[in-house]
Amino acid sequence: MKRTAPEPHIMTYLHQKGRALGLPIAGTFELTPRCNFNCPMCYIHMTPEQQRQAGIELTAQQWLQLARDARDAGMLVALLTGGEPLVRKDFFEIYSGMKKLGLMVSVNTNGSMLQGEILEKFLADPPARFNISLYGGCNETYEKMCGLPMYDRVRSNIANLRKAGIEVSLNLSITPYNCQDLEKIFRDAMELDVNIKASSYMYPPVRVQEDSYGAGNRFTPCRSAEESLRWDRLRFTPEEFKKRMENTAALAQLAPECSTETDPGVRCRAGSTSFWLTWDGKMLPCGMMPRPIAYPLEAGFAAAWETIRNATAALRLPSACTTCPKKPVCPVCAAVCVTETGAFDQVPHYLCQQVEETVRLAKEEL
Amino acid sequence: MQLKKELIKRTISGDTVLVPIGSAVYDANGLFVLNELGGFLWDLLPQAEDIQQLVDAVLAEYEVDEATARRDISAFLEALEKLGIL
Repeated sequence: MKRTAPEPHIMTYLHQKGRALGLPIAGTFELTPRCNFNCPMCYIHMTPEQQRQAGIELTAQQWLQLARDARDAGMLVALLTGGEPLVRKDFFEIYSGMKKLGLMVSVNTNGSMLQGEILEKFLADPPARFNISLYGGCNETYEKMCGLPMYDRVRSNIANLRKAGIEVSLNLSITPYNCQDLEKIFRDAMELDVNIKASSYMYPPVRVQEDSYGAGNRFTPCRSAEESLRWDRLRFTPEEFKKRMENTAALAQLAPECSTETDPGVRCRAGSTSFWLTWDGKMLPCGMMPRPIAYPLEAGFAAAWETIRNATAALRLPSACTTCPKKPVCPVCAAVCVTETGAFDQVPHYLCQQVEETVRLAKEEL
Repeated sequence: MQLKKELIKRTISGDTVLVPIGSAVYDANGLFVLNELGGFLWDLLPQAEDIQQLVDAVLAEYEVDEATARRDISAFLEALEKLGIL
């Protein structure tokens, strides 16, 4: 398996500059909530009926106009995602149009449609990178999790991309449906010579189910910690794994800070140098959060970006998180708080329990 | 001068990069970064017939002596040739 390639210095530099100047360096374009897979933990996939009630997908021309406006505001990197973006019949009109705007375009996909004419088009004009979501290590797991026995096809498609010299990265959601395949998935990634990122934490799918705050088809917090540790044991050498456990145990014992101010809610690039456009044309800081929302089609891109930047900068973590001794090893952020509790200022207890168990397991390893 | 690869010049708040499209993506493996002179020359390349035209344009735009301008331009063109762009 390839180790994650470091980000080119120019990208890190542009994001730092963008943070200072308020530039939207990167944008995610969620072209559709439709998908040929039907995964139980998905935060976006809608049935045709749910979609009809929720809104209308933007047209290719609307996407390209938004991309043009974003480019004029400083965007260099665009990520096309879904649902499954390749189910759109006009996908290549959007993709090629964005590339001609001078954008570095990457594509999120489940990899099942990268064949035939679609593959030929990508071979002639490849994306900067494909991010392919992997759902299992055999056809049976794919059928159980996604509704279709697509493993062999997806693996073959990934191999074809790699053979052609196209950059591929894999994303894995570790769930109760596919955790039995973890070792096989890791071996596959090594054989395919691709980087793979995995997470056992699943955000509650509040964007498709308003009553799902704190819920979801996912592990218990303790089991999620166990699966995460399992993945670490696979991906690190024994020495690296031991060091990681030592660091986790040591960092979780640091004395809590005294602070009168709560920590920023978002420490990543969301809402600072990156934005997310939903399939029906709303702007969010990131795709996991149901709010804050801005409306670029009505207000214009620049005004919407300003709204998102200001609203994101105002988000704070719960005060209990700011002074929590586990803070150095906790990935809490505003998106976790709001999807777990419905509010930005409430402690996400699911994550607290997961982190507690992660630290306990790390200490056990010493 | 003929460009062999499809690259789109972008200037983002004063920084200039070349974004590859089409088959250039396979070779570029990311972005090319241009300094100010590179960005200036890039726009002139398609119309320039020889290095002298580029030297003349640089002398008209920048306060620099001809020998220095010619040396810097040659280095830029050599770099483009090595990358298979020119």
